[in-house]
Amino acid sequence: MSLASASLDHASRRDGALNGDALNADARREARGMLALLSPGLFLVFAVIIVPIGWLFWLSLFDESGQLSAANYARFFEQASYIKTFVTTFKVAFTVTGACILLGYPLAYMLSQLPRRAASICLIFVVLPFWTSVLVRTYAWLVILQRKGLVNTWLMDLGVISQPLPLANNFAGVVIGMTHIMLPFLVLPLYASMKTIDVDCLRAGMNLGASPAATFRQIFFPLSLPGLASGVVIVFVLCLGFFVTPALMGGGKVIMWAMRMEQTTSLYSNWGAGAALGVVLLGVTLALLGLFHWLLGARATGVWSRR
Amino acid sequence: MTKRLCINGLALAGLLASAAVPASAADTITVASWGGTYQEAQTKAFFDPTAKELGITIKQDTTNGLDDVRLQVTGNAVKWDITELGADECARGSKEGLFEKLDYSVIDKTGINPKLVHDDWVGISYTSVVLIYRTDVFGDKGPKTWADFWNVEKFPGRRALSGSQATETLSVAALAKGIPIDKVYPVDIDGALQSVDKVKGHIDAWWTSGAQAMQLVKDGEVDMASIWNGRAGTLKKSGAPVSFSFDQGVLTADCMVIPKGSKNKDLAMKALAKFVSPDLQANLPLYVDNGPANEKAFETGKIPPERIKDINSAPDNVKKQVLQDPAFWRDTLVEATEKFNNLIQQ
Amino acid sequence: MLLSLAQSALPIGISGIEKRFGAVSILSDLSLDVAAGEFLTLLGPSGSGKTTLLMILAGFVRANAGSIKVGGEEIITMPPHKRNIGMVFQNYALFPHMNVFHNIAFPLKQRHVSAAETAERVERALDLVQLKGLGERRVDQLSGGQRQRVALARAIVFEPRIVLMDEPLSALDKSLREHMQIELRNLHRRLGMTTVYVTHDQREAITMSDRIAVMNAGRIEQIDQPEVLYARPQTKFVAGFIGESSFVPVESRNGSVWYEDRKLRMTTTAPSAGRHLMVVRPEKLRLVADADEAGGVNLLPATVGDVIYQGDSFVCYATLRDGRQVTLRDYCRSDVLAKLPAPGEPITLGIDAQDVVLVADQ
Repeated sequence: MSLASASLDHASRRDGALNGDALNADARREARGMLALLSPGLFLVFAVIIVPIGWLFWLSLFDESGQLSAANYARFFEQASYIKTFVTTFKVAFTVTGACILLGYPLAYMLSQLPRRAASICLIFVVLPFWTSVLVRTYAWLVILQRKGLVNTWLMDLGVISQPLPLANNFAGVVIGMTHIMLPFLVLPLYASMKTIDVDCLRAGMNLGASPAATFRQIFFPLSLPGLASGVVIVFVLCLGFFVTPALMGGGKVIMWAMRMEQTTSLYSNWGAGAALGVVLLGVTLALLGLFHWLLGARATGVWSRR
Repeated sequence: MTKRLCINGLALAGLLASAAVPASAADTITVASWGGTYQEAQTKAFFDPTAKELGITIKQDTTNGLDDVRLQVTGNAVKWDITELGADECARGSKEGLFEKLDYSVIDKTGINPKLVHDDWVGISYTSVVLIYRTDVFGDKGPKTWADFWNVEKFPGRRALSGSQATETLSVAALAKGIPIDKVYPVDIDGALQSVDKVKGHIDAWWTSGAQAMQLVKDGEVDMASIWNGRAGTLKKSGAPVSFSFDQGVLTADCMVIPKGSKNKDLAMKALAKFVSPDLQANLPLYVDNGPANEKAFETGKIPPERIKDINSAPDNVKKQVLQDPAFWRDTLVEATEKFNNLIQQ
Repeated sequence: MLLSLAQSALPIGISGIEKRFGAVSILSDLSLDVAAGEFLTLLGPSGSGKTTLLMILAGFVRANAGSIKVGGEEIITMPPHKRNIGMVFQNYALFPHMNVFHNIAFPLKQRHVSAAETAERVERALDLVQLKGLGERRVDQLSGGQRQRVALARAIVFEPRIVLMDEPLSALDKSLREHMQIELRNLHRRLGMTTVYVTHDQREAITMSDRIAVMNAGRIEQIDQPEVLYARPQTKFVAGFIGESSFVPVESRNGSVWYEDRKLRMTTTAPSAGRHLMVVRPEKLRLVADADEAGGVNLLPATVGDVIYQGDSFVCYATLRDGRQVTLRDYCRSDVLAKLPAPGEPITLGIDAQDVVLVADQ
């Protein structure tokens, strides 16, 4: 038997021996076939993603007179407002992500502990806001939060406050409105990952002497981190490019990156001015994703992903 | 197979072209404006009568402003034959060479303020920035001047100014410093910015659209605001407790242009001539508070005398207001706006 | 230190356990005593309540009534983390975010054991389960058998008073399972911890246990040493569940037991009057010559149905006169092979008096 397999090995290594050419040709044909099957997808990615991004980057290199220049990027340092916008954008994104974690984690935990039937009903309520446009939801928040809105009217009628709280047309309004819109993006992946946590692992934790709180801290929470991480990444990245809610809820004082892109596109006669903003946002987002991956992905998901 | 597809494709393209040509041929033009009640008024005042007189079809579209025109012209995809813009946008677009030259042998410019008559753009109507305040807060003793608006001790309350129209807010800020209305232009930008700096801590919202300005005042989110007179008039007509006047208003013009590369340039020229003629200009105030750009409209006798006091470009009202200078902003807008944006951001 | 478990092993006294899920009764008035250091197996088909009983012992399921005393101390109302009971789960339940070392150190960490002592005890536990040097491995880098050993090490490293095991070998393949059975048995002999083991595999139960509690429908049918359980089953269920059995109907009257018209020779006293079943194990039956009705052997006339040759042994399926099927198994000794019957041939089966076991006919 060992003799036979050895001679087979030998034969297959030699071209032309025992159908070698035919088998090689077949392998090449199959590879070509696979490539052909892939090509519509590859073409779509190339035409819809690679080309426009490349074009955007190309445009950002030309100034208003059409000369190759770094003027569009130099502007970020010359004009203090761009730095401010940048800082504001990250401040909003961090705050909203933080608020989403604080609200979303307990919510996802509750959902994951409910009986399946009750959980699926509650999940519908989590997803329900997706059926309404962001614009409508933001206006609704304006109605609820403004000076003579529901919240302030009620609180003043109840005598809790004597002056209306500044909840709309400022940073707080932007954070409240965006948190509402972003919450499902955090809850859904988090809930999914919590559902995969083996209940026996939690039992084992308690059995081995960890109190319910310690079991949560040392076992449930670390095991839910991959879901939390993907939720956080989604929310944070979506926040960086958000337009509608800060534009309506910020009272013109909270200018985020996307709003600045809109302003810049209409202010300057060259597309490069706005394109440069897009390139910077894209670059920063990619860098952040890389950082997230390094922080949570490489070190942790490796252990968690395969179970 | 590939060859057949190509031929079919060509045939289809040909079919489409032959079907499209008669419809968009010499008897149809496309006009873009701001939409809403303003464009409805323009339809009744300008577009319908012109279409009827010239025997053409006028298709309508809406615009977001200069960047739309820029997109069409630089992208060689001009859809519009005439489009409306703010006068400062016209001045900037002209500098960028986005418009066709106008033929003043076809268009009669008599009666239009010379500042609004240019090689490639012409004034069409006026909008005023006015000071509005809520009478349920101030009674009839509200802020009447921009100096009052800036005076937060005498007139406590919540305030809103335009954040998207730096030109208008800087003009208003200059007035607040006590500069007489005929000395505002050329605007001392740094002085105006200092003036904005003084009040910015008391501004609760910087609005970015007319609808937003209206909502802020209507819902009582602010007690006083700068607002476009059309929106202010609508609020007052709807019964909101508000008061405003044309005193110290900032009169800004809108203009119309023919985007470079328009396929029906000659017909568009004829239509534009009709739009700015005193006869059709006099129609506009019948439907909306935005005044005509052509003064001669007031001499046609079409405008009822009791209506004249509400129209911002009526000669008596013009005297009370600052006329914004598009040529000034053409050269200073980018720098001024960047500085303004920097200032108002939290 | 690990070897000191024997001294601290405690007896378990379970009494009057009731468990209902809604209207369905899972366990009814269940009582059971486990001696200190004993290896007791709960054996039963799925749905018999054995896992529920284990969950109640561990504290993951709350009973409706009953008492569990460990070394005289009542623990039924104690939360699981205070019970100090080690448990090996069916799917191991290793913590996927910790390496082997931290998995095993987990119970020590909860008990605030010093780092040095933790390292020492984990090392010894790893040694005990033959995983020396694998402490830094990730859980997903281990084979099924290795995971099983880690789970075991984790369950005993903190010297629990009792160890519970819930079908711990069911996920392993056959040869590994048999190997681990022996290893678990040896480990128990060395450490002597009181162990309650759940399985549905009767062979596994017989191999490993000091005593087996056979459970059926929420009750314990019989609890005995494996050999007693096999030789003297007390109910039809036990006889059927453990080993192969055929049942032959017999009747008890006037102090003796009758199969048809023959009086059974037996070494035990006759049960109460009425119908009973004789438990007939295949290896207890043998072929006898018709005339050979010597002392101590009961004869059952039958007809051969089929004979299957299995190399070392053969199996003969026969039909008694009342139509009942019985099975005979014997080794292929040449003397037996010489008189191997052919299908359809009438034969006489013999069963020794001391092998006659009767159970109630239900």
